[in-house]
Amino acid sequence: MPFTRIRQEVAGPVAIVTLAGPDAGNLIDEVMAAELREALSELDDDPSVRAVVLTGNGPDFSCGTVLEDRPSGDLIASHAVASSIARVGKATVAALEGDALGQGLELALACDLRIAGATVRFCLTRPDSPGIPWDGGTQRLPRLIGRSRALEMALLARVLGAEEAAAIGLVAEVAEPGQALQRAIKAGEVIATHGPVAVRYLKEAVYKGADLALDQAMRLEVDLATLLHSTTDRAEGLSAFAEKRKPEFLGE
Amino acid sequence: MSDSTILYSVDGPVARLTLNRPTRINALSLRMRDDLHEALSAFADDPTLRVAVISGAGERGFCAGADLIEFGTAPSQDVARRTRQRRDLWGLLAGLRKPLVAALHGYVIGAGVEIAGLSDIRIASEDAVFALPEVSIGMIPGAGGTQTFPRAVGLGPGLARLLAERPDRMSASEALSTGFVHRVVPRSELKRTSDEIAVQIANRDAPALKALKTAVLDGLDVPLDAGLNLERRLALTL
Repeated sequence: MPFTRIRQEVAGPVAIVTLAGPDAGNLIDEVMAAELREALSELDDDPSVRAVVLTGNGPDFSCGTVLEDRPSGDLIASHAVASSIARVGKATVAALEGDALGQGLELALACDLRIAGATVRFCLTRPDSPGIPWDGGTQRLPRLIGRSRALEMALLARVLGAEEAAAIGLVAEVAEPGQALQRAIKAGEVIATHGPVAVRYLKEAVYKGADLALDQAMRLEVDLATLLHSTTDRAEGLSAFAEKRKPEFLGE
Repeated sequence: MSDSTILYSVDGPVARLTLNRPTRINALSLRMRDDLHEALSAFADDPTLRVAVISGAGERGFCAGADLIEFGTAPSQDVARRTRQRRDLWGLLAGLRKPLVAALHGYVIGAGVEIAGLSDIRIASEDAVFALPEVSIGMIPGAGGTQTFPRAVGLGPGLARLLAERPDRMSASEALSTGFVHRVVPRSELKRTSDEIAVQIANRDAPALKALKTAVLDGLDVPLDAGLNLERRLALTL
């Protein structure tokens, strides 16, 4: 079934998923949410894909959800996307231009890296909203930028620009306006040269470990590192290092 | 002792540990790992010692990572796992309750970043470069790098660096601005500055230092109310 609210292109090892809603601002409706969940699940299962770039069609990444404030649990379930992004075992890179507001920002927060055009604007909440974010924003934002800044953004509905977002670690790189997608693809291509199993385990170690006490987290890390000993990729990485050549990873 | 992979000396309350394989930019070998374990245990067990400074011998760098030739030949996963659990250098470092100052110069790569990440105060010389390049050779860090580094610089910048390509190294000034290192000094000042900081720490009350480190590190691993209880209990022991 062809997608109607998103576009999906696979260019070598980097897949590009583009929010392409019918209206300006790429508002996220039930169809777009379902298509995103389906596309991300397929890309996660596709061994030729090593990195996923998430971007928006037009001037804005996404201005958020179509839902009214305080939706029901069923509506939240059918419109939520961020957990599906976070579940992807490959590197995920958000390429952000224009506005990334509300749920739009929440999708970006679920990616591993955020690369933003210099004129980007981030905002988590609307000042007049009687509801709260429901796609992970109240959890992922403080984990990324610290509770002090996250509370300020949430309570004051503060709008953040690119430079400030970079200074506090919310975005990894600021690009010229309009160049975020190109830079994100470049980052994806670099990550695509790494061992795919190692990237998946790295993400698991970092995200799961962040929720654990340090001693438990280090145990998780070393167990994952030891599991990697069983992969042919690790043997290839070591041979390539010894022979001073670029490794060719198979993802196994 | 000069052929030892770890130089260990004591100057009053200050212990000095030097990674000493300069021809391999102090890459961590199996023997070095065991020697470092021994030296750290000696430091931890000596009640007259209050603080340690760890640095790397030679001009080229603090530590270029694990010696991949040696570690690549690790036996089975089971043996690797048991060896680690039996003689856990990294657990010893993470559990050290005396302050550790890292003096970082030149290449600080892989295990070098991980040793630094398990230290409390990190001083870098201007020429220091940092990288955790493990995924580029199909591995992940195994000495706490996936944990200590993001905890020090934040989840976003931590992941960005862990996923970055090998030549994309972090400079000393970036390490300073992200909060990974606490001070950057010219190379000629590195030893003096780290020694001064060690002496400054050593002049403080030893039980207070231990309680401080325990309160901050153990407290971060538990919910706030449990951390507040821990702090109160520790304060009452002094």
